[in-house]
Amino acid sequence: MIETLLIAFIKIVIVLLVLLTAVAYSVYAERRISAFIQDRLGPNRVGPFGLLQPIADVVKLVFKEAIVPRNANKPLHDLAPVISLTVALATFAVIPFGNTITLFGEEVKLIIADVNIGVLYILAFSSISVYGIALAGWSSNNKYSLMGSLRSSAQMVSYELSLGLAVVGVIMVTGSLRLDQVVMNQTNYLFGVLPAWNCFVQPIGFITFVVAAFAETNRQPFDLPEAEPELVGGFHTEYTGLKFGLFFLAEYAHMIVASAIITTLYLGGWHLPYIDMIDVSPMLMSIIGILTFVIKVTLVLLFMIVIRWTIPRFRYDQLMGLGWKVMFPMALLNIFITGLILLLLQ
Amino acid sequence: MKTDYTPDTSKSKIYEALIDQYTSIESDDPLGSDMVLNFGPQHPATHGVLRLLLRLDGERIIGCVPEVGYLHRGYEKLAENMTYHEYIPHTDRLDYLSPLANNMAYALAVERLAGIEVPPRAQYIRTICSELARISSHLMATGSMAMDVGALTVLLWTFREREKLYDIFEVLTGARFTTSYSRIGGVAQDLTADVEKMIHEFLDYLPEAIHECERLLNRNRIFVERCDGIGIINGDDAIAYGLTGPNLRGSGVGRDLRRDRPYFVYPELDFDVITHEGGDSLARYYVRLDEMYESVKIVRQCLDKIPEGEIHANKPKKVLPRKERVYTRMEEMIHDFMLVNFGIDPPAGEVYSAVENPKGELGFYIQSKGGGVPWRLKIRSPSFVNIHALPHMLKGVMVSDVVAVIGSLDPVMGEADK
Amino acid sequence: MDLYAFFFYFFAVLTVGSAFVVVFSRNIIYSAFALMFTFFGVAALYVLLYADFVAVTQLLVYVGGILVLIIFGVMLTTKVFSVEMKTGTLNLLPATLFTAIIAGMLIFVFSATDWNVVPDQEWDTTVYGIGALLVNEFILPMQVAGVLLLVAMIGAVMMAARDWTKLKSK
Repeated sequence: MIETLLIAFIKIVIVLLVLLTAVAYSVYAERRISAFIQDRLGPNRVGPFGLLQPIADVVKLVFKEAIVPRNANKPLHDLAPVISLTVALATFAVIPFGNTITLFGEEVKLIIADVNIGVLYILAFSSISVYGIALAGWSSNNKYSLMGSLRSSAQMVSYELSLGLAVVGVIMVTGSLRLDQVVMNQTNYLFGVLPAWNCFVQPIGFITFVVAAFAETNRQPFDLPEAEPELVGGFHTEYTGLKFGLFFLAEYAHMIVASAIITTLYLGGWHLPYIDMIDVSPMLMSIIGILTFVIKVTLVLLFMIVIRWTIPRFRYDQLMGLGWKVMFPMALLNIFITGLILLLLQ
Repeated sequence: MKTDYTPDTSKSKIYEALIDQYTSIESDDPLGSDMVLNFGPQHPATHGVLRLLLRLDGERIIGCVPEVGYLHRGYEKLAENMTYHEYIPHTDRLDYLSPLANNMAYALAVERLAGIEVPPRAQYIRTICSELARISSHLMATGSMAMDVGALTVLLWTFREREKLYDIFEVLTGARFTTSYSRIGGVAQDLTADVEKMIHEFLDYLPEAIHECERLLNRNRIFVERCDGIGIINGDDAIAYGLTGPNLRGSGVGRDLRRDRPYFVYPELDFDVITHEGGDSLARYYVRLDEMYESVKIVRQCLDKIPEGEIHANKPKKVLPRKERVYTRMEEMIHDFMLVNFGIDPPAGEVYSAVENPKGELGFYIQSKGGGVPWRLKIRSPSFVNIHALPHMLKGVMVSDVVAVIGSLDPVMGEADK
Repeated sequence: MDLYAFFFYFFAVLTVGSAFVVVFSRNIIYSAFALMFTFFGVAALYVLLYADFVAVTQLLVYVGGILVLIIFGVMLTTKVFSVEMKTGTLNLLPATLFTAIIAGMLIFVFSATDWNVVPDQEWDTTVYGIGALLVNEFILPMQVAGVLLLVAMIGAVMMAARDWTKLKSK
């Protein structure tokens, strides 16, 4: 009993540390990549290649004065960023970042919470993430913030539908709500050559899910809640210092978690195709699995960053139109086609 | 149904204007869900210090009152206390995105007042400067409009091109931003071969650079849909509101002072007046893009045709002499002393001189009673007039479109507030 | 007290305590947020009862959907802070009577029912069973509920929609 708890605790600590570091460095990566795209240099002063920039940023944010607007609702104003970050980090609990690893004679599953409703857990938590933004917008007592949070909640509630329905396709193919089962199911091969990743099995669902995931993480082209030219800072207009920093971290944590979910559900998770054809030791296999997962997540993350610096932002009604008139029917169509094919294959 | 409205004295005057104007709309709204949003002057997308008071129903705009004047520096009044030469640096600060064009426009107005004929080489240099300023301003306008709808990268790319242009300005005029390049009766320095070479290189390179930005935007569905059908103003309304420049031509009205009331050497050049039908943000964006290509064409022709010769008119009593001559010759020194201390002394009379600036028709109305300073100087700034069309254009659009419309109008507050 | 009992009482207290805040808080926003913790507590109780699917659905539907709407309804009501919540001083007697009757009925039902006690054991996931039942035995009720919700949604949209063409012509 104690042993199980201890292992879980160690896993949580390691994952949290890695995740937070990754968050900090994804900010750095975003700045460098955007600089590259825009023909600038980007942060390159702090440490070699500016690699210590995230630390400098955090230190700066910590020492900034925390200003709360006079008519703001202080308890909720303080609570909002905490909710945002917590929800983003908590979602990572059910994502398998490797198969199993044998350490000191103990077989450890590389997933924090091995629950049998992992997919539903992700959906539930992504629906909770609305609260951080909604609270921030309302408690700031600022019209721009309020509009940002209104947009955000409308957007998230709308796109959650497509997100959920797109996942239904994956669940139908897998026949389970367990995420490790989803990954295991993708280790097969289609026609003996193509890895049976769900992005090949479920192309419509994959596209729908990726677009909805962009919308859920409030990334360009769906970053209306914080659309700078329109709403100044959107829901975090009135935040300063570390509280702003938490929102900032939460945004990138959401990105990383979304990349991890996309990887797990559609890109084969920790599975490296064709590796099972050569003979490697189980230990090496585990490490390769973790590395594969990290690399896949990084690639999805880079994709998100490049998208942000390439295309403009949607307008509110266009966003809603896309969500309800395109994504929603597409996700339904995907379920229908998947069901039909499954029925025919039976 | 019309509700009674009792003025609330605690509200500001601009707020009152908004309420009064749209009382009839308020009656449709028994729940009172309207919201008044103060947009600017401290706002990232108002191109400086434009302030809009928006009345919103949800995200939809049902009323808009623009307020200008946050950058008012009294330039029209200042002119009455300084000689015609002294005023040139102030013209830099009108439309600070195309100072060269302002310099030329002002010098032209004073010359028309004083009856000075500028030698052809200077005329050509002025035309080149105006067109380069137009390119620089339109680059900025395109970039910032793209940024306003969320495409940040385009802004940085156009900024990069503009920097190259500023390098040319630096060699040509000695300053990157506030050029003060024109002199009454000519230009400050001659166009050297170096600059000519730089301009040639830039012109060879620019169309490709613009095309790069076009590739990022023109076929981008998000960008096109964000701008298409937004902020519509038809040709008649545009004329009624007094729109000029790309904003007017974006409504399909082909008015261009370069062709309609020629100045400098434009009559000798071959160029098209770009118009686009539609009158929406997208049309205005296309007009600006295409005008940059036209400007490239114009500058090329100028560089081919530019004659050798003087760059100052031969009017010692009106035109500032060269510095090295002031130091070495008696005659010039006396003229310099007289011109600097007492001004050029144009005849009594008045003149209205307008040129086609990047933003539209920039006119200087100067009334002289003789003597060194203007009795009255009035600036007809295009941005100021263009902003007046905003309430018309913004009615019924969404908050996100406000920035797309402002971006496509391309106002510069230094000019609007004078 | 074993771990199970500890968690049960912890979440039970959370649920009931936050429910009290919902009822007695004078600030309607705080009420709405306390409701969130109530929902969380109930979800946790479901987990303790091996009803994992119901627990997550509780989060998904109540916390992620319904409560968001409630909170936005409250937030967008003008003058949130000045809304006076009547806390029972006016209808004290009838309310007490009514509550007492309901409480009595519930206690009676609890004590009088012959509960079907299942032996304590590790349960498999319920998702599969629920799914199978929903598309076989209860397919008709599910479809009827779906149509009902669709009708309600269309009605709500019709009521909320406004004619923007009218505005543009002005």
